[in-house]
Amino acid sequence: MEKTKPAKKKRKNFYDYSLLLVIVVLSCFGLVMIYSTSYYTAQLRLGDGTYYLKRQALILAGSFAFMLFISKIDYHFWVKFTGLAYIGALGMMILVNFTPLGLERNGQKRWLGISESISFQPTEFVKIALILVTACVIVRLSRQVDRLRAALLIFGLAVPPGMLVLMNNLSSGIIIFGIVFVMYFVASKKKMPFVVLAGVAVVLVLLAVPLAELLVKAGFLESYQLDRIHVWQNPEAYAQEGGFQVLQGLYAIGSGGLFGKGLGNSIQKLGFVPEAQNDMIFSIICEELGLFGAACLILLFLFLLHRFLIIASNAPDLLGAMIVTGAMGHIAIQVILNIAVVTNSIPNTGITLPFVSYGGTSLLFLMAEMGLVLGVSNQITLETL
Amino acid sequence: MIRNRVVHKQKMLWAFLVCALGVLALIGRLGYLMIGRSEHYSVLAEELHQRERTIKAARGTIYDRNGQVLATNRTVCTVSVIHSQVTEPERVIQVLSQLLSLEEDKVRKAVEKVSSREILKTNVDKAIGDAIRAQGLDGVKVDEDYKRYYPYDTLASKVLGFTGSDNQGIIGLEVVYEEYLKGMDGKILTMTDASGVELDGMAEERVEPVPGNSLVLSLDVNLQQYAEQAAKTVMEEKNARQVSVILMDPRNGEILAMVNVPEFNLNDPFTLNYEPEGSRTAEEEQELLNQMWRNACINDTYEPGSTFKIITMGAALEEGVVSLEDSFYCPGYRLVEDRRIRCHKVAGHGAETFLQGAMNSCNPVFIDVGLRLGVDRYYSYFKQFGLLEKTGVDLPGEAGTIMHQPENMGDVELATVSFGQSFQITPLQLITTAASLVNGGTRVTPHLAVEIRGSSGEITKTFTYETEASIISEETSETLRYILEQVVAEGTGKQAYLEGYSIGGKTATSEKLPRRSGKYISSFLGFAPAEDPQVIGLITIDEPEGVYYGGTVAAPVMADIFANILPYLGIQPQ
Repeated sequence: MEKTKPAKKKRKNFYDYSLLLVIVVLSCFGLVMIYSTSYYTAQLRLGDGTYYLKRQALILAGSFAFMLFISKIDYHFWVKFTGLAYIGALGMMILVNFTPLGLERNGQKRWLGISESISFQPTEFVKIALILVTACVIVRLSRQVDRLRAALLIFGLAVPPGMLVLMNNLSSGIIIFGIVFVMYFVASKKKMPFVVLAGVAVVLVLLAVPLAELLVKAGFLESYQLDRIHVWQNPEAYAQEGGFQVLQGLYAIGSGGLFGKGLGNSIQKLGFVPEAQNDMIFSIICEELGLFGAACLILLFLFLLHRFLIIASNAPDLLGAMIVTGAMGHIAIQVILNIAVVTNSIPNTGITLPFVSYGGTSLLFLMAEMGLVLGVSNQITLETL
Repeated sequence: MIRNRVVHKQKMLWAFLVCALGVLALIGRLGYLMIGRSEHYSVLAEELHQRERTIKAARGTIYDRNGQVLATNRTVCTVSVIHSQVTEPERVIQVLSQLLSLEEDKVRKAVEKVSSREILKTNVDKAIGDAIRAQGLDGVKVDEDYKRYYPYDTLASKVLGFTGSDNQGIIGLEVVYEEYLKGMDGKILTMTDASGVELDGMAEERVEPVPGNSLVLSLDVNLQQYAEQAAKTVMEEKNARQVSVILMDPRNGEILAMVNVPEFNLNDPFTLNYEPEGSRTAEEEQELLNQMWRNACINDTYEPGSTFKIITMGAALEEGVVSLEDSFYCPGYRLVEDRRIRCHKVAGHGAETFLQGAMNSCNPVFIDVGLRLGVDRYYSYFKQFGLLEKTGVDLPGEAGTIMHQPENMGDVELATVSFGQSFQITPLQLITTAASLVNGGTRVTPHLAVEIRGSSGEITKTFTYETEASIISEETSETLRYILEQVVAEGTGKQAYLEGYSIGGKTATSEKLPRRSGKYISSFLGFAPAEDPQVIGLITIDEPEGVYYGGTVAAPVMADIFANILPYLGIQPQ
């Protein structure tokens, strides 16, 4: 491409400002909600109501600049680093899982670093690294993508880092395999195998409970994981096993009604929903802004996905399309899973709501990912539009 | 460069559509949760968020028949400190220890203790509470509360009863009429966070308390006071264990006064009304309190003795086995089967008519009359007069009658029952039965509660009580009244005679069990006017020292009471 550039000097490059706007709106909305959800408990426990807001705003500002920076770099530049990124992702996961550099929080070893303040979650890096790696591999395999060997190679590459993530973070593992699956689906020309797979998945979900019970008996699943399924099916009857927390989220959602209690007026955030600024933030959004506000937020995400679709469809080449597809899969899966968990539509597992939930690492890498997508959009020439 | 082909674009659209479908399904799910299940979860959430504080309802007042207040509420304060809100600890400690007359150390401990609320003192006078409030100390809370208050302290203590710390009735009428008196507590609902801290600026929901209804009694404070004074005097004079007096309207069973001296202070019911000897455990202390709270008129039974001859007379006259002129002979004893039953006059009363026998309270005469009736007939009258059942008085813990089974009753038992021995009834049972026999033959239910009044004084309930007409005939009742008038006019009850009044009555001296212990219960049952009884009274003196004859000890006391109360009741001397 660089070679053709001088020839078409007057070519106008596209830049998806709509996507940029949605990202800005979503992350600012996230800041407002983090402030709303965390003020009371932060004031109570840390003596500073704006603690979480300040941290998130700072990280957001940095991440936003980082995103703009990345978006101005031609995405082909990153291809050289895919191997390095893959090895880096593996290395980080090994460090987290098997060395003292892996830090434990709330009983789960998900953090890499030397202290609480200097640490991050490498799973977020794994996601973006795998999107790049998978995109590159698909481009390299090109037309052979539908061969069994190609499929094995693509998924085989995802297995080592994916399994390392799965070891202590079920939901991130699911997201990682989900991203690869979505990318492969788009790359493949076939339809039938995916329809069959979808059918199998539906059956598995329907049979989840008896299957899980069998697995527990066989020793493949821990009984606490079975408890999660019981809680999911009837949170009121299994309040002791964790249903209490699920119920707190449902109380928040249910008491929102059509238009909510008004911004800042949630009661459930006052310690009833634990760490309301994290995974459960959507329930507080429901309580404060009602069905109307919650639906608006979801539609905003849908608009975001739609921008991804447009960028991917118009990407200058398959690499760009696959990167955007991976990002689309990532955001879609994470949004759907988060809201499904909060509304108790699926068993409880910890997933953050992109752009909105509190969390530095996930925001930073999410913004980097958006930078990639914007970078792809930036390579679209108006002539090709 | 690998092109982005149409097939990929199609697949992207598919992927997007699947995601869009998932997202829309979640909106649907949200709609179900936030509209369909909204009420369900809102209610549950509200329950979780709200803290309930009760506002005590004012307990209903108890009035006597003339509207005198017997039991009411006094506003008292609870003083507490909230550690986190105290700004001037030293001043708080100083002011509170001074105004509440507490030791400084104790107040300091409460103020410095890190707790959400520390109660310093309860039942503080409203004046003191107001004074503390006027100091405007941060972190000091003065909450008003009701406490039951009895303006007459000891008056009718065992009848009225008292209330406990939750304002609930513990004994007496306070227990029986709990449901009318207690009212409905109100509520303040405040929102709290997860750790239970109340939230500022949130609307409080308030459910106002409903005060209890008032209870109007048949009791008359003046009669009660007269009777209590008389009972106290004789108890002190005769150094008796205790003295009970019941005054009743025989026409309808309304109890006008019910005295059990020594009474106790209703405003301080957990302190014994005497200085017991030696130390005692908490259990023993409670037992002594229970004894002190007993209402001897209804909780305890005794052998009524000669006053019960009224019942034997009534039965025998009604059955026609005896008439006033029938003659009897008393040699000072009567042999029944192999038992020699003595008359109180060892020398014997000699030849006498039935009327004279009654006036003399002669045991052999009543033994003969009882035997003429026989066990079956006597027992059926005993039952007909209502003696086997409880009186049904509206006081808790009424004791039942202790009587022979008819199949175990021989002539000896019948003979002793005829003059009031070998069985036990309560004083209230005796006076109620006697009232029913002299009022023309209608069995009445003794009672205290007359009506319930609402907060604005309107009558919300008038109590009605069962009566049973014609347990004896009017003629028999009239004869009975005549005999009993003669007993007071010229017989053993003559010390109850009151110039200008016709008084009927009967004395009794019952030897307590075990016999020959030298312990007696002297009693007198009297009514006035004899020909149309409007008030009937029974006095029982438990273990008088010295002279113990009912005619000598008890009858004059009743005469004294009657002398005071008859003019008050509007019964003029002739």
